[in-house]
Amino acid sequence: MIELFGVTKRFGGETAVDALSLRVEKGEVCVLVGTSGCGKSTTLRMINRLIEHDGGEIHLEGAPVRSFDEVTLRRRIGYVIQSTGLFPHWTVARNIGLVPRLLKWPRARIQERVEELMQLLGLPVREFAGKYPRQLSGGQAQRVGVARALAADPEILLMDEPFGALDPLTRQSLQKELQELQARLHKTVVFVTHDMDEALALADRLVVMRKGRIVQQGRPIDLLHDPADEFVESLLGGMDRGLKEAALTRVSERMLPLGPRLLASERIPYAAPLSQALSLMLWHRVERLTVVDDEDIPVGELSLRRLLGGKTS
Amino acid sequence: MESGRRVPNRVLLALMLAGLLAWLALDAVSLAPNRIVPGNSYRAFEIGGGWPALAMTLPMLVVAGLAWRPSPQTLRLALWSVLALLVLLPWWLVAASASLVEPEMPQARIGIGVSIWLLLFVWLLTLIELRTRLGLPRQLGWLLLLPVLASWWVALVWWLEPLSLYREYQARSDQFLAAVTTHLALVGAAVLASLVLGALLALAMRRHPGVRRAGFGLLNFLQTVPSLALFGLLLAPLAWLGARFDALAAIGVSGIGWAPAFLALLGYSLLPMVRNMYVALEEVDPAVIESAHGMGMNRRQVLLQVRLPLALPIVLEGIRITTVQAIGLTAVAALIGAGGLGTFVFQGLGQAAMDMVLLGALPILGLALVADAAISALSERLRPGGAA
Amino acid sequence: MSRQELTIGAAGLQTQMRSWLAPLAWLFLLVLFASGMPHLEGAFRWIEPDSREVIYRRAGFFVLLGQHVLVVGVASLLAVALGIGSAIAVTRPAGRDFLPLVSQLASIGQTFPPVAVLALAVPALGFGTLPIIVALLLYGLLPIVRNTLTGLDGIDADVREAARGMGMTGGQLLRQVELPLAAPVILAGIRTSVTVNIATAALGATVGASNLGDPIIAGIINGNTAYIVQGALLIGLLALAVDSVFERLLRRG
Repeated sequence: MIELFGVTKRFGGETAVDALSLRVEKGEVCVLVGTSGCGKSTTLRMINRLIEHDGGEIHLEGAPVRSFDEVTLRRRIGYVIQSTGLFPHWTVARNIGLVPRLLKWPRARIQERVEELMQLLGLPVREFAGKYPRQLSGGQAQRVGVARALAADPEILLMDEPFGALDPLTRQSLQKELQELQARLHKTVVFVTHDMDEALALADRLVVMRKGRIVQQGRPIDLLHDPADEFVESLLGGMDRGLKEAALTRVSERMLPLGPRLLASERIPYAAPLSQALSLMLWHRVERLTVVDDEDIPVGELSLRRLLGGKTS
Repeated sequence: MESGRRVPNRVLLALMLAGLLAWLALDAVSLAPNRIVPGNSYRAFEIGGGWPALAMTLPMLVVAGLAWRPSPQTLRLALWSVLALLVLLPWWLVAASASLVEPEMPQARIGIGVSIWLLLFVWLLTLIELRTRLGLPRQLGWLLLLPVLASWWVALVWWLEPLSLYREYQARSDQFLAAVTTHLALVGAAVLASLVLGALLALAMRRHPGVRRAGFGLLNFLQTVPSLALFGLLLAPLAWLGARFDALAAIGVSGIGWAPAFLALLGYSLLPMVRNMYVALEEVDPAVIESAHGMGMNRRQVLLQVRLPLALPIVLEGIRITTVQAIGLTAVAALIGAGGLGTFVFQGLGQAAMDMVLLGALPILGLALVADAAISALSERLRPGGAA
Repeated sequence: MSRQELTIGAAGLQTQMRSWLAPLAWLFLLVLFASGMPHLEGAFRWIEPDSREVIYRRAGFFVLLGQHVLVVGVASLLAVALGIGSAIAVTRPAGRDFLPLVSQLASIGQTFPPVAVLALAVPALGFGTLPIIVALLLYGLLPIVRNTLTGLDGIDADVREAARGMGMTGGQLLRQVELPLAAPVILAGIRTSVTVNIATAALGATVGASNLGDPIIAGIINGNTAYIVQGALLIGLLALAVDSVFERLLRRG
């Protein structure tokens, strides 16, 4: 659990973060969004004390971060940045094993942990362990970055626009992998991004920041339904909000059990988002889809009216 | 809030402390009755009851005090204080020589001691630090030194006749001028010749990769060979040439003299020159060249209107390196009879006449610094698209 | 598998040996000429037919070579320790105040001709080996300081940020990340420093040190070209041998 109480940071005369209070529950993914210069990165970096806060208090599991030695503190917190910051003179395996080595784990345990993480992140050990960062693609390098952050099994993960420099396809697949990882690991994650789709896809708690203050926070769906002001509304996509909301709702939430009617010809997986169902209907000019499970067995159906009318029911 | 955080400038404090210690503890001047007899050394506070020396410490204490609470205003005051010190120093020497030199010693020589050399060094460092902190342009820094030079000049010409360095200069002022001329002529000839040859070589290298590999290999090799060795190695074949062909001997080609010096200087100058010219021609942004071709410029126009203007600052950088290097190497060439300021250095070393060594070494240093500053300033002005 | 590794190992060793060929060849030539110079009397007699003596005999060539290497070695080792040390000191938080001054000094100092520095050391320190070592040390510091600063400055800020974010201490960051990454640039600075020092040390013969510059100076004074060629040959070979060692070390990175 991370708590910020009235945290303030000034650079010269500029107030970067202004009396900000925030509570990130254990196992929660908290995404900070906002335009550049809104103080979201500064807030993140104050948690592991890469930047010292000027006012207020930051607590980790109830204890102020200043009560820890800063080096010990950072070894307990995973940290991922956009440019990866991998050490160019170290192999992938050595990069991943950095924090365990700093913590003086026995060599065999480090090796075991490195291989475990490489498997977890889809990096075949034999192929990648001996490679150097410059031999990796952007997506591979960022996987190594995430593996390095997870190496000493920290409770908390800080991620500063980790996927910002990747192409859209790689970014989406890494987002998906992160979701799957999180479903297994239940870390407390603070994630900074300016990509609203990424924020909506990943966040348990979405925090919209502007000029060093929190404008609104809550579940993504709640923010979509009820933006606090025009700024949040435009940030959330303005007129596109409907589609973004549809992207957050699964087909399974709106489908009806199979009726007596004939199966519709087009099929959609039950875990797919409503936006995909809508796209399919638009493309094939149909008003009904068959919902199938993982084994492609029909389990229900979704009509255009159900898809649209879901808001109230 | 802001002023409460203002911390002392530790650099200035350290420099002033070093300056004060040198001034208190080390010998400031020496007095010798003539050129041959070794002199007695005096510390600053042993002269004239110590009052002149005390007067010099005050501005240093002021600078240290101002450095305690640095702000643009206090740093500017500190800058003026250091300039005042530099302007005052010759007058302290005037006072020292007035109190030390007795009228019955017409040949007396005042030598400048370790303390004063250190002070000059410390104060110049202070000026650099202050210039950086205040963000003053480099040219202004040189401008600030003008009153200092004027003060030294006035003191030297009218009051500092016993200063040993000045006596040494007066004794051989004709030789000195001739040496400076020779030195500059050799440097100028080597730089000009390497400029022309370098341009041709760089163009040839762009055409033929073979020439590029061989050329850079050879020039790198030459650059590695120590100057004394290269001068020596050139001596034998040139002596042979001069002995064999009267025509060559007639224009002065022989084992010693200007010929081996010039050839060696040329060899050393070519590497930095060719490297910079090659880089300048090669590494122009390809997009710029492509768009120039795209606009319908022909090769000649691209070379003259795009490549050359963009290459000019890099070429000037090559000229700067070459010139500074040649000024130092020409000094070594004095050993093989090429003349120049190195003559004083090596003659002085041979006779253990330190003033003569300084008479050669200080102008060499000065020439190098001035050449460096002048060419840097020029390339700054010529940078396309304005100063960075 | 192991057999394959073995052949790769052998091939690697072969390239390893081949890449050391140039430095070894220069060193071999240097030792050969230093020891065999007296046997070349015939050749030098041809260069200098009129002189009574054509081989420099005031000191053995090996002694001169040893003294040359010793002076340059001591000065360079001290310059490396002091240069890298001070560059590290001014890039740490505690010494950062001094960074602008030191880096400006290092670049202005490069303008000083080495011969002028050597000449100025004599009035301050007197004749002999000590002033040469001090002059070489002071002058040799500059390229090392400058290159160390450049090397440390060239490290990607994100790498530093990540290192700190992972919980590396200042010392760990320096030893495990900054120095290894800056090493090639630092090594290039040491190479410049040593090359200049070998050349400048030869001039030390004029201020009373005895080294490979001696035969050259003696030859110039006595008009004996054979002496000059002997000294020049050995200094040239020494410079090339040392330079090719650095070339080799730099190419590995």
